[in-house]
Amino acid sequence: MPNFEQVFRKYHDSLFLYAHKFVADESVALDIVQDVFTLVWEKEKQQLGDEHLKAYLFSAVRNQSLNYLKHQKIVRKHQQHHQSLESEMEIRYYESGEKSLIQKENLDQIYEAVNSLSDINREIIELSRFEGLKNKEIADRLQLPVRTVETRIFRALNELRKKLSERVIRILLNIYQLGK
Amino acid sequence: MKMTDKIEQMIGAYLNGELSRDEEAELMNWIQADPSNKSLFYSIKDTWDSTKPVTADVNQQLLYFYKTQARKASPKRVLPIWTNVAAAVAILLIGLFAAQFIPFLQTGNKSMVESFQVPKGSHSQIVLADGTKVNLNSNSHLELAPDFSAKNRKVSLEGEAYFEVKSDKSNPFKVQTHKFDIVVTGTKFNVNSYSEDTNIGATLAEGRITLQTKNMRTITLKPGQKITFDQQTMKAVLSEADVESDLAWVDGEFNFKAIPFPDLIRRLERWYDVKLVYEGPEFDSMVYTGRFKNQETIWQVLDALKLTTSIDYTKINFREFKLYLKSNSM
Repeated sequence: MPNFEQVFRKYHDSLFLYAHKFVADESVALDIVQDVFTLVWEKEKQQLGDEHLKAYLFSAVRNQSLNYLKHQKIVRKHQQHHQSLESEMEIRYYESGEKSLIQKENLDQIYEAVNSLSDINREIIELSRFEGLKNKEIADRLQLPVRTVETRIFRALNELRKKLSERVIRILLNIYQLGK
Repeated sequence: MKMTDKIEQMIGAYLNGELSRDEEAELMNWIQADPSNKSLFYSIKDTWDSTKPVTADVNQQLLYFYKTQARKASPKRVLPIWTNVAAAVAILLIGLFAAQFIPFLQTGNKSMVESFQVPKGSHSQIVLADGTKVNLNSNSHLELAPDFSAKNRKVSLEGEAYFEVKSDKSNPFKVQTHKFDIVVTGTKFNVNSYSEDTNIGATLAEGRITLQTKNMRTITLKPGQKITFDQQTMKAVLSEADVESDLAWVDGEFNFKAIPFPDLIRRLERWYDVKLVYEGPEFDSMVYTGRFKNQETIWQVLDALKLTTSIDYTKINFREFKLYLKSNSM
């Protein structure tokens, strides 16, 4: 059975990304992850089986994110209101059983998949994500119109998404063949 | 379904650039128009979200987590007989947490100095060997004399504490602080001696206390009175106290009467273990009166401040907030 520290190390980064997906603020996301691990710690949830525990962690992050967004709605009545509504909608989407890549995949496997992208798509992911450049800055760097960069962002993500879902299908096929 | 270039480009702009209000509305309409649009959009955004680099260091986060748990776990213990239980508690907790977060024993050459350290973000209740009850506020340190006993009742305090001293006329109880000493026989009183605060002092709920400053001035307090020192000048003001408000913290409440704003901020920082920053001379001269009851989070307190004063706040970092005046932000 994994101890608390192993659970923390295994899931911390993924849960951080998952919280950030909804709240779009790094320090808030870190707070949420700390709070979720407090629940694990206090209720000794690390004793749950791994699959159970994982589902528990991700849904706890969703709930905490939702609480935060509701709280924000009261605090900032006007600005960002539609933002938090969109995020709430997205949380509901994942509540209905849809799983995020962040939950399905190891982060290492996601980075590996980025490396396997075509050059042009890998470049755009590296600039926007790993270097943190905005579309306008990328456009300046690559001497391209902003609109082209925007489209390339979409296409790079689409290729990555397909690569990752193909990988899952391949793994399932392997399991199936092993079982035969 | 075939995506239009326009949608692809709008999603790329939504994720990593700028989208006008009109375009955003158009995108949202497209998403709502068909479940397959919605799942495509969320799946693309999910891929985007999953490639965000993780900036936080997991070791630091784990350490931070343990510190927070240690703060919550150790000081809330009530020790019925301090001398017997202390060693066991200390040994038990040292295994789990870093030494600075726990009540600890320092072993001297011959005598043992017993002391309690309460970190920021928590408070604690202890019972001393003579039966005296002490409530220690956040970020406070209480040290017992090496030979503390029912016959020799001497403690020193940094920070804030509420004492209910077991009555014993022949053996007075003495509290030393960095600026004054208090001698009592059997009373209930509050001492505030945070070295960083503007004002320090004592409030007497019951009985009688004698207070002596470092320059040998002696002041006697009657029940319901309070003495306040301006820490810099040590000018003393003796006044009728609002005992309920001065002791509210013991029950986990805040109740302030004309507290200097910088002292309010430091109290909140100690209580919630957060950092609150503010700029501008307007703040330094402000005085705050008000109460917060059973506020669990700093968010709730800041919201209350925001609703009742001209102060607004933003979160600027991990457990760090910036306060500013609303009019300045317009």
